[in-house]
Amino acid sequence: MKYALLIYEDETPYGPEKSNARVQEIAARHMTFSQGLGAKRLGGAGLKGTATATTVHSRGGKKTVHDGPFAEAREQLGGLYLVDVASLDEAIEIAKRIPLVQDGAIEVRPLLGP
Amino acid sequence: MSGPALERVFRAASGRIIAVLAARYRSLALAEDAFSEACLRALRAWPESGVPDDPAAWLYRAASRVILDALRQQSVRERHSIPEPPPEPSAEELLADDSQVIPDERLRLIFICCHPAVAQDARAALTLRLVCGLTVTEIARAFLIEEAALAQRLVRAKRKIAEAGVSFELPPPELWPERLESVLSTLEIAYSRAHEDASGKAARAHFAAEILHLTSLLAQLLPDESEAHALAALVRYSEARRPARVDREGLMVPLSDQDPQLWDRERIAEADALLTRAAELGPRTPRLLQAELQRAWCARASLAEAAPWPQILGIYDRLAQLRDDAFVRINRAVAVAEVHGPEAALQELERLDSSKLTSFAPYHAVRADFLARAGRRSDARQAYETVLSLGPPPAEERWIRRKLAMLENEDAAN
Repeated sequence: MKYALLIYEDETPYGPEKSNARVQEIAARHMTFSQGLGAKRLGGAGLKGTATATTVHSRGGKKTVHDGPFAEAREQLGGLYLVDVASLDEAIEIAKRIPLVQDGAIEVRPLLGP
Repeated sequence: MSGPALERVFRAASGRIIAVLAARYRSLALAEDAFSEACLRALRAWPESGVPDDPAAWLYRAASRVILDALRQQSVRERHSIPEPPPEPSAEELLADDSQVIPDERLRLIFICCHPAVAQDARAALTLRLVCGLTVTEIARAFLIEEAALAQRLVRAKRKIAEAGVSFELPPPELWPERLESVLSTLEIAYSRAHEDASGKAARAHFAAEILHLTSLLAQLLPDESEAHALAALVRYSEARRPARVDREGLMVPLSDQDPQLWDRERIAEADALLTRAAELGPRTPRLLQAELQRAWCARASLAEAAPWPQILGIYDRLAQLRDDAFVRINRAVAVAEVHGPEAALQELERLDSSKLTSFAPYHAVRADFLARAGRRSDARQAYETVLSLGPPPAEERWIRRKLAMLENEDAAN
């Protein structure tokens, strides 16, 4: 079986740009942790803070783009894609094409690091 | 050159310079800071050397030098080359060439500032700050918010643009409808803020002038976009009527009572030309129809001429087919009251969901007016009180207080 392990925690200790000493510290711990996983690790990444999030909402087939993270309780996290593109605009364009069986939302968040 | 004159030179140059630097170095913060630094250098250098023939070119070269120095220092510090080499022509080549004109990248900058991924409440402020060169103080005053809160909003928006990787390229044609709509509605919101206070006191009147400038710039930069022309026409019609919007005592004057001889005919002619062009370019969108409403009013030559109510009602009928919201319905009801009487207009209002309109001042204001005209004075008084409780701008407040006083006089007479 393959699993996604989704990390939820308060982002405020890491500072507005997730670049303070706490980030360095946790990054080192993640490095050790993920090396310890060996072949069991398929992939993973840190995300930039929610201030960098953009959400593509889909209502009745109409897609709209909004500043901010996904913040509704009606839908549940159902999956994820990782993409490498030139800009947020391109990521949004792809997010709009992600299949949804009915209404829903795709949160677009940049990954930490270069 | 005096201080205020220098300020004007700086402001006139700022949008173009920040736009071209931002486009080249892919950073709003870098562009904005470099321009501020260039202005400081000008303030030191110009009193001695005299104001250069082309102050904008001087500022542009100075700002480019600031950025190059900053990038060089950064690359030395980080011991690697400049991360993103500037696209051709390089700023260094431009430094060598005095006659080089500053390319116009303002459209790109407008699209970045009004990006749908930027918080809606920051888009207009960011556009006015970066494209028009307004200060944070001026924008905060016009938007009636705390300066610190606005500054924070701007910082957040710029950080979002940088950190989330908003594209600095113009959007491809297939994305234009969505992206242009965000630009146009941002400018519309900004203008309605400027227009809200009928007396148009200092800060806001000046602010409205910036929006006029920005909309004509947009129409110029997008010569084939119908909606851009319609918006430029719309704000011109509104501005043309500004001198007649309040009377000598500072009271708001309703559109139908405004003296057309006080309207700015030159501006109306500009708006007519823009609207004609808009209609040639595209279909009758809500924005076009709104400009047509304004045109119908502005065609009135004097108060002796009948108000164009039947024509206004006809345009609202078409508008309601495209955009059936409370705002359109309320305005349509005003025309209905004029053409078919206050009872018919009240029936129109009853079809709206009043629970959603409890804090929407225009709804209560027109309802109060219809009730008064239908002779239901105590209901009218109550509706006017509701408007006052919502804190209308000064000119409107005085107008409503006068209406209330008139109702009381009528009560006393009966």
